[in-house]
Amino acid sequence: MIKKILFLFSISIFCILVACSTSKSSSDENWIPEKPIEIVAPSGAGGGWDTTARMAAKVFKEEGIIKKDIGVINKSGGGGAVGWAYIAQKGGNPHHLFIASPPLIDVPLNGQSQYDHTDFTPIANVIADYGAFVVRSDAKWENLNDLFADMKKDPANITVIGSSSPGSMDHIQFVKIAKEAGVDITKIKYISEQDGGELTSLLNGSADVFSTGVAETIEQVKAGKIKVLAVTSEERLKGDVISEYPTVKEQGIDSSFVNWRGFFGPSNMDESAVEYYVSKFKELNQSEAWKEIRNKYGWDELFMSGEEYKAFLDEQREETKELLDELGLTKK
Amino acid sequence: MGGFEGILSGFQVAFSWEGIVFVFIGVLAGTFIGMLPGLGPISAIAVMIPISYGFDPTIALVMMAGVYYGAVFGGSTSSILLNAPGISGTVATAFDGHPMAIQGKAGKALAIAAISSFIGGTFGVILLMLFAPMLASVAIAFGPPEYFALMFLALTAIASLSEGSLVKALISGVLGFMFATVGIDSQTGTPRFTFGNANLLSGIEFLVIALGLFALAEVCFLIINSKKENKEIQQNIGSLKLSRSDFKEMKGPATRQSLLGFIIGVLPGAGATIASFIGYIFEKKLSKNPESFGKGSIKGLTAPETANNAATSGAFVPLLSLGIPGSGTTAVLLGALLVLGVQPGPLLFEEHPTLFWGVIASMYIGNVFLLILNLPLIPYIAKILLIPRPLLISLVITFCMIGVYAISFNTFDLYLLLLFGVIGFFMRLVHFPAPPFILSFILGGMIEQSLRQTLTISNGSLGIFLERPIAIIFLILAILTIVIPFFRKKPIEP
Amino acid sequence: MLKSLNRKIAILLWIIALAYLFFSFNLPAYPYVPVDSDVLPIILGILLFLLAAILFFMKDEVVDKKKVNITQSDLFRLLSVLFLIVIYVILLEIVGFLIITILFIFFCSYVLGYQKHIVNLLTSVLVPLTFYLLFTKLLQIKLPQGVLSFF
Repeated sequence: MIKKILFLFSISIFCILVACSTSKSSSDENWIPEKPIEIVAPSGAGGGWDTTARMAAKVFKEEGIIKKDIGVINKSGGGGAVGWAYIAQKGGNPHHLFIASPPLIDVPLNGQSQYDHTDFTPIANVIADYGAFVVRSDAKWENLNDLFADMKKDPANITVIGSSSPGSMDHIQFVKIAKEAGVDITKIKYISEQDGGELTSLLNGSADVFSTGVAETIEQVKAGKIKVLAVTSEERLKGDVISEYPTVKEQGIDSSFVNWRGFFGPSNMDESAVEYYVSKFKELNQSEAWKEIRNKYGWDELFMSGEEYKAFLDEQREETKELLDELGLTKK
Repeated sequence: MGGFEGILSGFQVAFSWEGIVFVFIGVLAGTFIGMLPGLGPISAIAVMIPISYGFDPTIALVMMAGVYYGAVFGGSTSSILLNAPGISGTVATAFDGHPMAIQGKAGKALAIAAISSFIGGTFGVILLMLFAPMLASVAIAFGPPEYFALMFLALTAIASLSEGSLVKALISGVLGFMFATVGIDSQTGTPRFTFGNANLLSGIEFLVIALGLFALAEVCFLIINSKKENKEIQQNIGSLKLSRSDFKEMKGPATRQSLLGFIIGVLPGAGATIASFIGYIFEKKLSKNPESFGKGSIKGLTAPETANNAATSGAFVPLLSLGIPGSGTTAVLLGALLVLGVQPGPLLFEEHPTLFWGVIASMYIGNVFLLILNLPLIPYIAKILLIPRPLLISLVITFCMIGVYAISFNTFDLYLLLLFGVIGFFMRLVHFPAPPFILSFILGGMIEQSLRQTLTISNGSLGIFLERPIAIIFLILAILTIVIPFFRKKPIEP
Repeated sequence: MLKSLNRKIAILLWIIALAYLFFSFNLPAYPYVPVDSDVLPIILGILLFLLAAILFFMKDEVVDKKKVNITQSDLFRLLSVLFLIVIYVILLEIVGFLIITILFIFFCSYVLGYQKHIVNLLTSVLVPLTFYLLFTKLLQIKLPQGVLSFF
């Protein structure tokens, strides 16, 4: 028994060594993948990360952009932390990618992951989503300034609901805008609802404001159940209902929030491998099939790569850190 | 398109050859995925999304709905045969289903489960069809205070899940609740009891505890007893024929739980799990001989199996009539609809009547398929118990490990599984019941969060419950369930 | 004093309750909610402590006609299976699902005293292979490939 295990152990180590040496030998100009590529979605099946990764893999394969097999694997846990730890162990192996969005900034700042975006190689951002602040259609607020004026007067009477826990996405996007408008952000009453009851709570009056994504609002607005006070994009969105959503900016509050989504690799990735992926993602971004998927999900195009992407991420981190510091949510 | 025309065109789609074929594919995939370890309806549907890309939306939803209720239907198999519930909705099924299997009535237990599921599912669809638009208002009536009251009512069941010592049952319950507090607290973002381990941040996975506490603990006992002369466990599957008196016993719970299960299923966030627990407890309270529950009672098996399938139909009410996801599974279904180019929402009923009625109509066919698919398979599936003991034990362990690994892809959870196996083994050695542990683990997180959401809304005042009539009713019921047994204690001495 | 089983368990539960309370009291405070994250854990810890106290003074149930006797050989088998599981978990992602599961089923059944080696071998190859193909090919869910990374 023990002998067998030792035998297997030596085999596996041998294989790992072989794998390492082959990947090193090809690090000259034009890198191409020699093994199946693995994209990690650091969440369970069905969520935003998982969907984006699976759709990207599908388009890569069906459009023949990448010839090698691409598999999406789920590593859920810790709001992403488990998946990031997994990738961090992969060293410079360019056959492992993962999908990320603002939690890659928020979660490490909250002290819940020892790895942050600087521990990985940003490859390309592909899409953007925006936040929307929603109230019941019979609510007394007609625009964001009405709401914020009331929040300044009587913060104890207004409940904000969202699906992420304090210090992450839905909370941060609201706090960021409210702060710019001069609301005391430590007085905001925020409750987190993670079992799918957010909209219900808004409609039955348990909560007053729902901080969410644009896609979730469209049908409810059409049915006249809710109204959108503001959307966090820089400019008005294009589309059937969503073009009627006023931006935060046009209401005189100089702020915005973008829910970016992009692909990363492990640290120390080879220059040529990064170049390879950037060109492939560019191709993906321009393909008709991807455009169609973007439209279906209501995602916006936001392509960034290289230094531009890095600078964007650093800036996001600074902004978020400032907010979390003020809320006392940053941990060493 | 008018209302009646909509119904008609929906039925036309459902009864077209295409509709029938895809319902069949859906329920077939669903039952098998439900039987497989670790793959609940959520991952089953997520897997279907890329496959169904480009389908006609009605056909795709018909198929995915089939996967969903098929998985709940098939999930009872591993609960009954191996004491290994694969989804939380079938934990209560194991309470009486597994004892039946051990007594050599595996065939009968599976047959009862299949028939109860069929009844619950079909009743659920009828109610869905008749009352969906009306019930929509019920679905939105529930805010955090109401949820707290409902979950609290369900939790009081711990007392009735105990056999023997009440103190031991309560200790189990408190321990289960403690494990529910592990992970990031969603109201404050504070990590609790994670000891710096990233794997614990999102809390402990339900399946880890269920499979550890039930299946692995069972395996430990099998190993210990494997050489004993008095084989407690029959290597026999028995006949799957139900006698007239069996049906008579099923009748009450099946009708009551179809209705109750459906209503609970309508509430967003409650779903099949709560429905099955409440159904089980309800029938135990109502029963003339509650002591037979937990030892292979037909009523105790019928109730949760009817309730969880009825609840699955109920979960479609908020989804189809309001565009609100009521559970993790329906949230994924909602995402799937988006991909198919259908915006689910309050207008779905008017804008896409064919889809709305098509899905409902297909659920009738799907349930019939499930019954005629499952009944003939039972003798073969039940034969699993005839596998020689050592081999069976290895396979059950493998089954549990694949199941746990397939949800998180993380070996840490496998160590946890082992840990809970050992805990479950010791609990059984010293006669601490496992059901209260798992019940308060499942409900604990929701109870705490809804209570604290409520108190944040009311700025810390408990008076908010007095303003909520539905919450008051549940809380009074809960208090009654706690208090009444104390007054009744003497007269029911056996 | 510790003769009764209930008392031993009560002591163990007290230790658990105290440790749990210790960590509960040390949870960082979050100022913006009326009920912070430590309130419920503290209640639970105290509840467990009190329940354990009741248990401490309870008589053992008249145990039992069929008390579980664990013989030495039973214990040995149990521990060997636990050991095999640990090995399985350690090697799963290194060696890969297929190989390690085949080995596990075979050796686990063997340790438990299964003598028909041919049947054992067949089962332990066929079952993991079916699962593997089902998950990776049909359901597109990746299981660890380990050393068989070309497969």
